[in-house]
Amino acid sequence: MMRVSLSDKAFDIVNKIFLLIVTAVILYPLIFVVSASISDPGAVSSGRMWLWPVDITLEGYRKVFENSDIWIGYRNTILYTLLGTLIHLLVLIPCAYALSRREVMGKKIILWFIIFTMFFNGGLIPTYLVVKSLGMVDTIWSVIVPNAVGAWSILVARTFFQQNIPEQLVEAAKMDGGSDFYIFRKVVLPLAGPIIAVMALFHGVSLWNQYFNALIYISDQNLYPLQLFLREILVINEIDMNTQEAGQMESFVEQVKTAGLIKYAVIIVSALPLLIIYPFLQRFFVKGVLIGSVKE
Amino acid sequence: MKLKKSLLAATSAVLLLSACNNAEGTQGEDSAETASEKVNETGMPIVDEQIQLKFFADRAATTHEDWNDVMIFNEYEKMTNIDVEWEMVPTDALAEKRNLALASGTLPDVFHSADISNLDLLEYGQQGVFLELNDLIDQYAPNLKKLMNENPDIKKGITFPNGKIYSMPTIYEPDFLSVLDGARPWVNQEWLDKLGMENPETTEEFYQYLKAVQETDLNGNGKQDEIPYGGTVIDGLVGWIKGSYGLGNRGIRHPYIDVDSDSDELRFFADDEEYKQMLQYINKLYSEGLIQQNIFSIDYNQFLANGAQNIYGSTVFHNTISLFGEEVGSKFTGGNALEGENGDKMYTDLGSSLAGMGGFVITKENPNPAATVRWMDYFYSDEGAKLFFMGLEGETYQETEDGEVEYLDKITNSPDGLTMEQELAKYMTWLGGGYPGIVKQDYFKGSESLPSSIKATERLEPYIPEEIWPAFTFTEEESRRFSALATDIEKYVKETRDKLITGEISFAEWDNYVQTLQDMGLEEYMEIQNAAYERFKNS
Amino acid sequence: MTTANLEIDKKQKERSKIHKLLRRFKNSWQLYLFLLPALTFFIIFHYLPMYGVQIAFKDFYATEGIWGSPWIGFDHFTRFFDSYYFWRLLTNTLLLNLYQLALFPLPIILALAVNELRNGAFKKWVQTITYAPHFISVVVIVGMIVAFLDTITGLANHMITSLGGESVPFLTSPEWFRHIFVWSDVWQTLGWGSIIYLAALAGINPELHEAAKIDGATRMQRIRYINIPGILPTVVVLFILSLGNFMAVGFEKVLLLQNNLNSSTSDVIQTFVYESGLLEGQYSFASAIGLFDSMINIILLITVNQIAKKTSDNSLW
Repeated sequence: MMRVSLSDKAFDIVNKIFLLIVTAVILYPLIFVVSASISDPGAVSSGRMWLWPVDITLEGYRKVFENSDIWIGYRNTILYTLLGTLIHLLVLIPCAYALSRREVMGKKIILWFIIFTMFFNGGLIPTYLVVKSLGMVDTIWSVIVPNAVGAWSILVARTFFQQNIPEQLVEAAKMDGGSDFYIFRKVVLPLAGPIIAVMALFHGVSLWNQYFNALIYISDQNLYPLQLFLREILVINEIDMNTQEAGQMESFVEQVKTAGLIKYAVIIVSALPLLIIYPFLQRFFVKGVLIGSVKE
Repeated sequence: MKLKKSLLAATSAVLLLSACNNAEGTQGEDSAETASEKVNETGMPIVDEQIQLKFFADRAATTHEDWNDVMIFNEYEKMTNIDVEWEMVPTDALAEKRNLALASGTLPDVFHSADISNLDLLEYGQQGVFLELNDLIDQYAPNLKKLMNENPDIKKGITFPNGKIYSMPTIYEPDFLSVLDGARPWVNQEWLDKLGMENPETTEEFYQYLKAVQETDLNGNGKQDEIPYGGTVIDGLVGWIKGSYGLGNRGIRHPYIDVDSDSDELRFFADDEEYKQMLQYINKLYSEGLIQQNIFSIDYNQFLANGAQNIYGSTVFHNTISLFGEEVGSKFTGGNALEGENGDKMYTDLGSSLAGMGGFVITKENPNPAATVRWMDYFYSDEGAKLFFMGLEGETYQETEDGEVEYLDKITNSPDGLTMEQELAKYMTWLGGGYPGIVKQDYFKGSESLPSSIKATERLEPYIPEEIWPAFTFTEEESRRFSALATDIEKYVKETRDKLITGEISFAEWDNYVQTLQDMGLEEYMEIQNAAYERFKNS
Repeated sequence: MTTANLEIDKKQKERSKIHKLLRRFKNSWQLYLFLLPALTFFIIFHYLPMYGVQIAFKDFYATEGIWGSPWIGFDHFTRFFDSYYFWRLLTNTLLLNLYQLALFPLPIILALAVNELRNGAFKKWVQTITYAPHFISVVVIVGMIVAFLDTITGLANHMITSLGGESVPFLTSPEWFRHIFVWSDVWQTLGWGSIIYLAALAGINPELHEAAKIDGATRMQRIRYINIPGILPTVVVLFILSLGNFMAVGFEKVLLLQNNLNSSTSDVIQTFVYESGLLEGQYSFASAIGLFDSMINIILLITVNQIAKKTSDNSLW
């Protein structure tokens, strides 16, 4: 017994040192981003700023918040993320669970039906026409619904259910006369905490960062998500020096300067909410949540 | 379940239908001359009864987010009685949105500054989706017609091989050399003075100057941090030097071909002996550290920051003041056309007066094509250019005693602490480029018309080629074949150029390079270019 | 037995088979209801627009629509295969992806290590720090790489030269491109990628660990015999799925890191499509190449899935 705990202690120390190194390596660039967001852009790109802020300026943040639309963007993005994640889970979890059950017929065909969509898609124009014919263009649904669920999440979630929902448990419940609805609610969902949390996180974050759907389907500025407003102030048109269009030069130099100023601040502004929320989600990934619910 | 099914059936039917409709609608319809259209042939307003037109427009990030609120267009609406409803499309999604507009059958009346490629102009023009404008221009566009008559290259350039015109172009006033030039060479005058040197006239003198910059602490900060030549891309320097070897003598619309001065025939010059000499010269500069060593990967902001610290001895750019600020930027003076080792002394990095073609097309949905052409034509006139670039007298500009125009103080020194660009965006839209119309020296107030730019261009003027061509137009078939060839060949040329300059491959590989170009289909590439050239010459 | 009898027998058998199926369906009809929303979604948003795939074999005119545009067969494909750069593009794309695939285990190792920490501040700290880089945009990542590795001003070269070495042109050397691309990616996605394994680890029955502890198993042993087998199905499925988009590379990042000097390794299929697209409407050409990528991916996916099926019990189907 003694020997075991000794080697466990050694393991613990080695493991901690390992993680300390990993974190330090990753921490450095994070500090870099924060410092750069309040430093002079010239100092950043010329390498004078490499850890702590140089020539401190809050100009970048001022420029971001100068745009009054930012708050509209925040509001919309929060709405899209919450609603979109909810829809995602409502479609995904039942489907993935059903596909993990042995008694479902034609599973292989259904799986292929889903996997197939990973490889072939009709492209932008046909998809746009579908969204349009459903009357979703210029509504919040066009941002949320066309990507509501993907093959990847279904397959990953299904694996989780196959692995972590004991067959006997479901069988026993069924013997007791429980319907599948009942079993899903009372047996499966309580065990599905980690996978629900992961899927919600993955989809939520992708919704938070997404801009392309909005760019294509939304023209009403009041419906723009945060990322679209941020891109508007950040994006640099790649200008070929050889096209030499009169008037573009001003525009270009102006944009380069703005971009240099705000690109780090933009990251902080857009990612902060997601960084704050993460520790709350972490408790779902903590082992031990299953104790008591599994009776074998 | 049943309900779902019928919904599906319904949607797919809708899709099929809309697809079919598109297919039918476009065939057979010729460019519709609407005889019934009521339009005044001359004078304002253009129409007596107000009409509405829908314009699809690319919005660069530096222009106002909604052009319906921009002063000049509201003013122009009052003049013309044509109410333009602007549909703004962010540059990010321009290509997608344009294709969606075409595909979903929701065509606007006009695509404005939407950067439509020549191939698209031709394809959709032939299908009748974009109207053929030959007759309309003839009848309703006196200003544009005048420009085309004065400068036949413009007409040649916008006419496709089938003899048709599908767009109204962007034109730079032919005398406005500074804007045709765009990026131009600059040398640090203060440093020349300190070194007691003259502004270099030959490539050898330029080399000596760069060498001196490298060896002297000219900015006096006690560090040897001077960079003899700096930039963000090597293309600027190549553009400056290539004239010294007689290359590119028909302007930058033809970056790989020109006319051989001996045989008077079209030549591909990137495998020419003189081109090799030029690269050897630039390679010498690079390997001796006279060119900023990270020029191939430098971040734009680093370049700006370096420039502002006064460490560059020379560069190629539109204007150094708008780049590095007044204090450092004004130390620079224009560079000369340099005489090369074979005695060539030219400056060939110039664009054609026909600056762009994809800025204004009228679609078949437009019920008032004649009025639309008149709407656009105004911007080719003196008054129109003034409105577009300067706005309204008393409102945005004033006339000085010597007859020049300048923006009002409230724009150049914003009371709200905005930059001039931000102030301008409220009143006009020319920042960002891509617009159709004419750019005139008198009214254009970009960095190309700053006094230092004009002066720098005057130095080059005696050495510019007589003929500067616009881009050629191709037939549809030629176009397809050509773009496949050009992608490969031009990519290979650029890659090899940079590798030879940095010394990553040696000049011993030259013959190999020339042979590879042949293997890539250079002959066919030149055949197509020659066919286009023949048409250009004879039209 | 007469043939008629046989017929009847067959029919009866069939009938009972159908009967059985029906009963099976009746017993678990609610499960099919579970599937319905997802399948409806796939039909509407994936299968209805799927007719768009044909554009790869057509000369696409937006106004003609996808049905109306003329067929041109394999022209777009041959144009790609005939390109002088075809082999270079293919090798670069494959090598870049193989390199990335080789580092597939890293997030798993991180997850296993984090899982061994006692719940507390340090664990939260490690997780949050490693997760954060995921939110940094590509433009900024590249900006940082450039600032860090610049030949003249970069910190890396400052260190090399102060140690007496010669400065390395990281950003313009073909030899360095892949390392820069892949390792910056690892840096950015390591923590994010480990989340899913942490969730899988959280799903492992804790009683297994309790039992092992009583038997005197060390931490190392428990990782090896409980945790790793416990997450293996997830690992296998994620591995197979990652082959499903094997040909995809972070296009924007490649483009921003690319220059004429390193293009012999940095030129990939996606950047080629982008460049060709600048010269003409790219719709058909891009989807033809997309289809080519899909073919490679689908072959890889099926092969690896078969292998996984044979060697372990875990597979996609």
